[in-house]
Amino acid sequence: MPGAPVEVIQQVPLFAELGEEDIARVARLFKKREFIPGETVTKEGSGGAAFFLIESGQAEVSVNGRPRPPLKAGDHFGEIALIDGAERSATITATTDLVCYGLTFWDFQPLVQGDAAIAWGLLQSLVGRLRAAEGEPQ
Amino acid sequence: MRTIVPLADAREDAVFGSKAVGLGEAVRGGLPLPPGVALAGSIVEEVASGEEEAIRMVAESVSDLPVPLAVRSSAVDEDGAKASFAGQHLTLLNIRTPEEVGEAVREIWWSANSDSAITYRQRVGLFARPSVGVVVQSLLDPTVAGVMFTQNPVNGADERVIEASWGLGEAVVAAQVIPDLFRIARSGEILERTPGLKKIAIRSLPEGGTYEEQVPAELREALCVSDEELGRLHALATRCEEVYGPARDIEWAIASGELYLLQCRAVTRTGG
Repeated sequence: MPGAPVEVIQQVPLFAELGEEDIARVARLFKKREFIPGETVTKEGSGGAAFFLIESGQAEVSVNGRPRPPLKAGDHFGEIALIDGAERSATITATTDLVCYGLTFWDFQPLVQGDAAIAWGLLQSLVGRLRAAEGEPQ
Repeated sequence: MRTIVPLADAREDAVFGSKAVGLGEAVRGGLPLPPGVALAGSIVEEVASGEEEAIRMVAESVSDLPVPLAVRSSAVDEDGAKASFAGQHLTLLNIRTPEEVGEAVREIWWSANSDSAITYRQRVGLFARPSVGVVVQSLLDPTVAGVMFTQNPVNGADERVIEASWGLGEAVVAAQVIPDLFRIARSGEILERTPGLKKIAIRSLPEGGTYEEQVPAELREALCVSDEELGRLHALATRCEEVYGPARDIEWAIASGELYLLQCRAVTRTGG
C-alpha cells in the first residue's frame, strides 16, 4: 500500500481535525525515506522542504549548537515547513538507522488548495496550537 | 506515453530529463555508451510513492542489463546551460540486482526533494516542483576514467583538457585525487602530459556500493592514459561536438580496452 499508515498520520496534531477520508488522502502522499547513522536529516538555517514522521530509529537534535531532546519512533518534525517552506530551526542528525515517512511542500500544497475541508481542518488544528502556545483555554 | 524507454528513445527533456535525453542523443549518434534505460519523472514519482506495479515494471525493465548497475538522476532542469545542478542530485553506483533499483530510484527522488536541493532551487530562482527522471545503466569496471572538456574551460583555448585517474571516475569528479592532466590541440597534437598524485582508486564492491582502493606506489605518479588512448579520447571529443555542438563537458571510462562515453553536457562555466 503506497504512502504512510493512516493510523500513524492520525497521531499528528496538524492532521488531528481531519476526517477519515481526508486523512487517507494525506497518508497516500507520504513517501518513505531512510537515513543512515550520522546522516544529516535537517540543517538549521537551510530551506525546509518536507515534514517527517519517524517510523523507527533515533535522531539527535541541536539548536544553535545546543542539544535538545532526541527524536524517536512516533515523533515528527518540520510540519510548519509544509505551509511556509521557511528555514529549518534545528539540526537533526540520525543516530541509528532512521526510517521516516516524508511529505513535501509540493505534494501537500495542491491538496490543501484544492480541498476546502482539508484547509478548514488544518486551520482548526493550527488555531488550537496557537491558543495552546499562548496559554489560552481551547 | 511510455514511461520507461531504452536510452536511444529518450527524446523529451520535459519527460526524461536532460541527462537521459543527452545520452539518448549519444546512442542515436553512434557514440559508445554502456547499455541503459531512461525512466520518466512520472514513474519515478510512482516508485517513490511505493506503487508496487511501478516498482515491478522498473525491475523488469532493467532485468536484461548486465549488472552491476549505476542509477543516476536526470532532473528536468538539471545540467542546463544557465545553472549547473551538478552535485545537487544523486548517483548511486554498484546496484547489484534489478530488485534493488526501486529503492535507489526512491533515494534519487528524495535527493531532488531534499532541503539542500530546495535551498539551491530557491537561490537560483526556481520555485516550481522538482521533477526528476532517472537513468539506469550497466556500471563499468574501468581501469581508468575521468573527465574531458572539448574546449579549455578556464581560458577558452581551442584544445581538449583531460583529467584522468585509476578506477571509477568518481575519484576525479569528487576531487579525491590529483588527476593526471592532459591537453590535446584540435589537430590531435598532445600538448601536455602532467602526472597527478593518485593515491586511491574507487572500485565496486561485490555486495554493492564502492570502496577506496590504495593505488600501488609505482602507479600513483605514473600516467594512467597512453598516447594511443589519448588519440581515441580526442576522436570521442570530435564526435561529441559533431553530435551535440561545441564546448562539451564529458565523463568517460576505459574498461576492457574499450572507451565509453558516460555523460556529455554543455560546459556551464567558462573563465575569461
